[in-house]
Amino acid sequence: MRIVIVGAGNWLLSDEGVGVHVVKYLTENYEFPDEVEIFDAGTLGLSGAYALESADAVYVVDAVNAEGRPGEIRLYDKYDVMMLDRIPAKLSPHQLGIREMLLVTQLRGKLPAELVLFGVIPASLEPGIDLSPAVEMSVKTMAQMLVADLLSRGLIVRNKAVTAAGIF
Amino acid sequence: MKRITIDPITRIEGHLRVNVEVDDGSVSKAWVSGQMWRGLEVILRGRDPRDAWVFAQRICGVCTTVHAIASIRSVEHALNVDVPVNAQHIRNIMIAQHSVQDHIVHFYHLCALDWVDVLSALKADPKRTAQLAEAISDWPGNGEKQFKAVKDRFGNFASNGRLGIFSSGYWGHPAMKLPPEVNLLMLSHYLQALDYQRKGAQAVAILGGKNPHIQNLCVGGVATAVNADNMATLNTERLEYLRTLMGETRDFVHKVYYPDVLLLASAYREWFKYGSGVRNYLAVPEFPQDSKSTTYDLSGGISLEGNVTAVRPIVDHRDPFLIQKVTESVAHSWYEGLSSLHPWQGETKPQYTDFREDEKYSWCKAPRLDGRAFEVGPTAQVLAAYVAGKAEVRQATDIALLKAGAKLDDLGSTMGRILARGIRARVMADLSLVYLDRLTNNLVKGDTVYANPAEIPDGEFKGVGFHEAPRGTLSHWILIRDKKIANYQAVVPSTWNASPRDDKGVAGPYEASLVGNPVAQPEKPLEVLRTLHSFDPCIACAVHMFDPSGTELVKVKVL
Repeated sequence: MRIVIVGAGNWLLSDEGVGVHVVKYLTENYEFPDEVEIFDAGTLGLSGAYALESADAVYVVDAVNAEGRPGEIRLYDKYDVMMLDRIPAKLSPHQLGIREMLLVTQLRGKLPAELVLFGVIPASLEPGIDLSPAVEMSVKTMAQMLVADLLSRGLIVRNKAVTAAGIF
Repeated sequence: MKRITIDPITRIEGHLRVNVEVDDGSVSKAWVSGQMWRGLEVILRGRDPRDAWVFAQRICGVCTTVHAIASIRSVEHALNVDVPVNAQHIRNIMIAQHSVQDHIVHFYHLCALDWVDVLSALKADPKRTAQLAEAISDWPGNGEKQFKAVKDRFGNFASNGRLGIFSSGYWGHPAMKLPPEVNLLMLSHYLQALDYQRKGAQAVAILGGKNPHIQNLCVGGVATAVNADNMATLNTERLEYLRTLMGETRDFVHKVYYPDVLLLASAYREWFKYGSGVRNYLAVPEFPQDSKSTTYDLSGGISLEGNVTAVRPIVDHRDPFLIQKVTESVAHSWYEGLSSLHPWQGETKPQYTDFREDEKYSWCKAPRLDGRAFEVGPTAQVLAAYVAGKAEVRQATDIALLKAGAKLDDLGSTMGRILARGIRARVMADLSLVYLDRLTNNLVKGDTVYANPAEIPDGEFKGVGFHEAPRGTLSHWILIRDKKIANYQAVVPSTWNASPRDDKGVAGPYEASLVGNPVAQPEKPLEVLRTLHSFDPCIACAVHMFDPSGTELVKVKVL
């Protein structure tokens, strides 16, 4: 089984880059088995679609323009993402977002069997490489949710701090 | 008379606006405006010249690699630094392969949808599509089952009203002329092309370290350590992987992209009559073969007024006419004053007004060579290399012109540029592997030098780095003083082409090429997009500073 965790967004625009922050957090704090790939899709758009195509299950993390308070996490399943307009449309004619990436992947007949989108409501989209406090807190929460899901599949994910402390 | 403003132009790189006046179904006047300014030239002042290429490369992520090359050459020229042959070969491979992936993206993902009606593909018979495809090429991705799968999947989308990235296209426009089977063929290839763009980008990354934005240049060579036995360097296995990837992209270009261009051109033959523009062409030589950069594989040259066979060759990057006679006018650009300065004296003093057609209306300066406007790009390079007798260019061009039913000077037109780009891509795909052979042959001979040490002396030095990039002639002009960058100006291909009017009121290539363009339905100016897209605009490259810009349709916030 091949699993890919994709963090998308623009790291230079504060909370817009939350997906990238999450993948960095995962890479720094956990060891993943060979079945799991952590992919920083950044602003690759269509160029990053290939990373999803050979996977059986994909988790995407991205900022979403949804109703609610900054830092709130919304989960969208494959049906939500692909069939309904629950994911906001692209923000500009030049920007191809996750939705466009997934639609092209589907058109190529290579959509992964399982797909989950973790959407985080941003507070700030201003230039900056730090997350706003509410969104910063959601990073750890999402990491824990993702790791828990992987563990529930029977995969072995190790927490680096725990390993380093010799508790294994 | 109808006035149309298209803002923003999509399916390009960067931010571009066009105003046209349409009389009796065709364009009578045009103004093209670069809508964004970023300040790279200002950022570079005061920095170490050895770092210039790293910053300069960030001018654009689509035209990645090219600014790094031009920048490093400007410093090497200023300081008279030799580049070891291995480094020339490595740089040449990256340049050629970058072109391959860039042109693939441009044809399929940026310009094809001006000519291909994806909704019409839903009426195609997959079996007849396969027969058509197999008559043109032996590409294995052209089977009936594959076409049927694309048609069915896209049909599902369309019936749910979810056109995704294909929303807002001019489907059903009267200027769309392809039969359903060709539309299905092109749509299917559009989807496959994504894989080959990726392979081309990966190939460049093997040498460059990453892509976008290679990391392996240094003044005096490359930082690509070569050692056949070392896992951490460029070794035999890496070179073989590079060869495999470039073989795959070469196959795609020869068997899919190039034939598709020919098919498109023969179906839209009337578009060789539109979009000719200024009809002066400029290309610089490319692919230096020796450490002093005296011989180049592809010749450059200048031709005037549509006399495409009367090419005045440019044989190297030290041509005095070329170096001395470039000026950039700001008469109609959002900079202070009305000057026309040489890049070594160039200034970057922004002065924004709103869009004033008779005054200032663009962030692009107006580059001129000896006072004339020049078009740069694949047409210019193919013409120069063709006339100079380069065999591979002649072969690819002759086949293309025959299939498209066109003549050599038809390359100076809307469809001509698209054809020239396909020719150029084919040549680049082949040269990528030729240069890999030259690199490996040289390594086998025992020459493993890949960089000459370079120190920056005290004193004042002027340099210019030329590069014939996918969109045309690129030049970076550097003034070094007391070991720091004192001035830096980039005159890039899309500045030449997107140029506004100059101090004499002479229009730039995009503007001139739009005059006489048909416009069947002013509220759906598809034909205007056809001509603009034929140039492959890259506007991040063409303008050099940041400023807010807004439109009624979309507010683009620039940082």
